[in-house]
Amino acid sequence: MTRTELLERFSQSAETAGAAMVTVDSAEAVAAYVAARVSGPVLLPAFASGERLKLKEALEKEGLFVITEPHRADVLNAAAGVTGVNFAIADTGSLVLDSTAEEVRLATTFPPQHFALLDPDKILADGLAAVPPMRELHRRDGRNFVAYITGPSRTADIERVLTIGVHGPKQLHILLVSGLSSDPLEM
Amino acid sequence: MSKQRAKSYRKKIDGALATPKLQEALHRFGDAYLVSREKAFSGLDFQELRGNISAMKKQACIDREQLQQQFIDQATAAGATVYRAATADDANRYIADLAVKKAAKLVVKSKSMVSEEIHLNHALADSGVRALETDLGEWIVQLAGQRPSHMVMPAIHMFKEEVAELFGRQTGKEEPAEIEHLVEVARNFLRNSYLEAEIGVTGANIAVAETGGIALVTNEGNARLASTVPKVHVVLMGTEKIVPTLEDAARIVQVLPKNATGQLLTSYTTWIRGAVPCEGGDKELHIVMLDNGRSELAESEHCKDALNCIRCGACANVCPVYQTVGGHVFGHIYIGAIGIILTAFYHGLDNAAELVKACIGCRSCVAICPSQIDLEEIILHLRETIGDKEGIGTGKALVFRKVMQNRKLFHTLIRAASKLQKPVTRGERTIRHLPLFFSPLTEWRTLPAVADTALRDCFDKQEQKLAKPRYRVALFGGCANDFLYPELGLDLIQVMNALNVEVFYPKGQNCCGIPASYSGDKETSVELARQNITAMLEENPDFVLTTCPTCAVALKQNFAEYLKDSPEWVDRAKVLAEKTVDASSFILEYLDGADLFKAAAKKEKVTYHDSCHLKRGIGVSTQPRQLLQSAGLDLVEMAHADRCCGFGGSYSLTSHPEISAKILADKVTDISNSGANTVAMDCPGCMMQIRGGLDKADVQVRARHTVEILAEVLRNKNIQA
Repeated sequence: MTRTELLERFSQSAETAGAAMVTVDSAEAVAAYVAARVSGPVLLPAFASGERLKLKEALEKEGLFVITEPHRADVLNAAAGVTGVNFAIADTGSLVLDSTAEEVRLATTFPPQHFALLDPDKILADGLAAVPPMRELHRRDGRNFVAYITGPSRTADIERVLTIGVHGPKQLHILLVSGLSSDPLEM
Repeated sequence: MSKQRAKSYRKKIDGALATPKLQEALHRFGDAYLVSREKAFSGLDFQELRGNISAMKKQACIDREQLQQQFIDQATAAGATVYRAATADDANRYIADLAVKKAAKLVVKSKSMVSEEIHLNHALADSGVRALETDLGEWIVQLAGQRPSHMVMPAIHMFKEEVAELFGRQTGKEEPAEIEHLVEVARNFLRNSYLEAEIGVTGANIAVAETGGIALVTNEGNARLASTVPKVHVVLMGTEKIVPTLEDAARIVQVLPKNATGQLLTSYTTWIRGAVPCEGGDKELHIVMLDNGRSELAESEHCKDALNCIRCGACANVCPVYQTVGGHVFGHIYIGAIGIILTAFYHGLDNAAELVKACIGCRSCVAICPSQIDLEEIILHLRETIGDKEGIGTGKALVFRKVMQNRKLFHTLIRAASKLQKPVTRGERTIRHLPLFFSPLTEWRTLPAVADTALRDCFDKQEQKLAKPRYRVALFGGCANDFLYPELGLDLIQVMNALNVEVFYPKGQNCCGIPASYSGDKETSVELARQNITAMLEENPDFVLTTCPTCAVALKQNFAEYLKDSPEWVDRAKVLAEKTVDASSFILEYLDGADLFKAAAKKEKVTYHDSCHLKRGIGVSTQPRQLLQSAGLDLVEMAHADRCCGFGGSYSLTSHPEISAKILADKVTDISNSGANTVAMDCPGCMMQIRGGLDKADVQVRARHTVEILAEVLRNKNIQA
C-alpha cells in the first residue's frame, strides 16, 4: 500500500472505531484545537516530538493549565491528556503508544479526553507489520508498557448496547501533523 | 450422586426455559454477532487465519515445557516474580498471602476467567481482603452475587432494570434504568478505587515467550488502570496462554476480537513486560502461572486441542443450546462447548457429566472456532469416558449392545413395533398423541409411524429396467430411510434410474452407529462399523449413496477413525469412505445430472434447511440448492438456514426434549417467515423433526427431502410429456 492508501485506510478504520480526526500544521493549530474543546487541566507528559514542537508553550498560550509531570493527585481533575504516537496501524485504525513512562499512562487513562499527535508517515499496514518496531522497543528497553489504542473506551456489557467512555477516555482525537517524527521508536 | 446431579440439572434447564426474555436476548445477540463478525473478517481468509493459529498452538503445546521456561526467564529478567501454581489452592494461597503481606485492604480486578476458575475472590475474602471487579459486566455479576454467563460478556443474561437496582443499592439513591447513565455511574463509582487499591489483578489474553510479556485485549480501559495505578500488579494466567513470538501473538490479536464480538480490534491491546515504572520506583509485578489440570489436558490424546482455545466465546455465540438455556445452565465456570471440556479437566468430570450430554452435536461451534478445535469430537470422547465410568444406563445398554449389534433381532423388533403402534397411529403415517408417560414426546411435534413395509422389504420389488447402466450404486438407507420413510428410497431409485444408474440395497447393512456413539457407547459403534463395511463393500458397488448426512459422516469419516488401529479393517473403511457420497452431490457433481430436471418443476417457493451434518459434517450446502433451482423452483432463503432444527437423534427423544422443542420452534418460525410452500432438506432426521413441528404448529408448509422433490419433478415432467 502507498502512503496515501495507508492514511486512507487508517482514517476509515479509526473513524469507524469512534475516533475524531483532524489535520493540523503547527503547534498553534494543535493548541487551538485542544483549547476549543477543553476546560480544565491538561496532562502533557514529556515526549520528543512534542518538545520539538514546543507544545507546552503553545498550549499555555491558549490559556490552558498544563501539567507536564502528572501525579496521582492530578489525575481525577484533569480534563484531557495530550500525547504523541509512536506509530499507527492502518487496518484497525489503532495508535501505538510506548507508555512505559508512567506519565503517559496516567495521561491516557484517567482524563475524559485524549488528544494524540500522529505523523501520517508513521502508519503501518497491520498488526504483523507492527511487530518489527515492537520488537525494537523490547530490545531497547528492559521493561515495557505498550498500548494499542483504537477509538475511545467502550462497553457493551449492559444489554449489549454499545456505550462509549466507561473507564477510559470518552473522546479520542487524532491530530495528523506532518513532519512531526519519522521514527516509530519515538513518540 | 449422579441421579441427584441429573435432577438439579433438569431443574436448571426448566428455570432457563421459563425465561423467554433471556432467550430473546441471546438470540438477538447471536444474530447481530454474525453480521458484525462477517464485516470484521471481510477481505480476510478466516480458514487460513485459523489454520495458522491452530498449527502454532499445537506446536506450542508440544513445546510447552521449553516455552514456559523461556517465558519465566524473560519475565524474571525484566523484574517480574513468576510463581508456578500447580493447583487452584496454590494460586489462591500465593495471592492471598501477598495481599496480607502488603497489608492490602482492597484489590481491584480486571476481567479474568482464571480468577473465576479458582474462585479467587472467595480466597481473598477469607483473608480479609476485598476484591472489587472493575469490568462493568463482572462488577454487575459480582453485585448480583452470580457468576458470568458468558466468557466475553459476563452479564449478557441481565437487563438494565436489574442493573439499575443493583447500582442504586451501591450509590444509595434510585438510579434510572438508562444504559448510558448506568455506565456513567460505574465510571464514577469505581474511579477512586484504582487509587485506593494496593493491588491490581489482571488476567492475560496472551503471554509471549520471546519477551516474557503479556497482552491484555480489552475495551473498557479498566485493565489499563488496574495495571497502572496500584503499586503491585498480579497477572493470573493459565500456562496455555504462552505463544513463542510477537508474530504469533499478533496473529491471535488479529482474530480474537473479530471472532469474539465482531470488532476489528478492541479499544485497548496492552503489552506489558516486566516491572514498569510506578510512582517514582518500580512496580512489583507477580505473574501466577496456573496449571490446575492443564498438564493433564496436554497429555490427553483426544482432548489436548482444547488448550488451543483463545477464549473468544464464539462457540457459545453460535450454539443453539446456549441460545436456549444460557451460560448458567450450559456451563460450569467456563461456558459453551469449550466450557464443557475445560470443566472436565479443571473442575472434575463430575461437574461436566450433565453438560457433556447437553451438546446437540450440530457442529456450529466447530465451524466458527478460531483455533480449529473439533469441539464436538472432544465432547463425544468425554461422553464415552463418562459412559465407561458411570455406565450409559441399562436401557440404552440393552438397546445398543443386545439389540442393535444383532441386526436381525433389531430389525425384527422394529417390524414388530410397526404392528404394535396401530392403536396410536389409527392407521395414519404420523403419531399425534402417545399415551401415558410417552405423551411428552408428542406434545410439541408429531412423530412418524414406523412404516408397514420397510425399505429393505420392498426395495427389490421395484423394477429397474436399465439396459446398460452407467453405474451400479449401493444405497445406505440408514434407520430413518429404511423404517420410517421407505418412500424416500423408492424415489431415489426413480431418480437414479432416470439418470441411468442402477441402485441396490445391501441387506446386511445395519444402523450407522452414530446413535450409540452419541450416547457414549463406543463398543457398539465399532461393531456396527465392521458390519456395515462388510455389507456395503460385498458386491463392490461403484458408489455408495446416502440420503442421511449423519450416516454419511459415519461412513466417510468415523469408520476409518474407529478402526485406525485395526490393520485388517482400516483399508476397507477407507475404500468405503472414498465411495460414499450424498445423493444431491452425486446427482450434481458425479452425474452432471441437473439438466434432467431443468425447468420441469411446478412453480413454487421453496426454502432450504441446511442439516448440520450435511453442511458442517461433509461440507455440502450449495449442491442441493443448485438442483432445486435448476428444476425451476423459486428458492427463497430462510433466516438461520444452517441453524440446527433441534433433532439430534436421541437428544430430542430422550435426553433433552425440552431444549429440542425450543430449537424446533425457532426453526418453524424461520420456515414460516420465509413465505415458502415447501422446505427442502437432505436429512430424514431433520425431516422427522421439522415435519412434526410444522404439523403441531399447524403451519401449512411441506417438508421434503431433495430427492423426493426431484422425483416429483420427474413425475411432473412425465405428465407434461
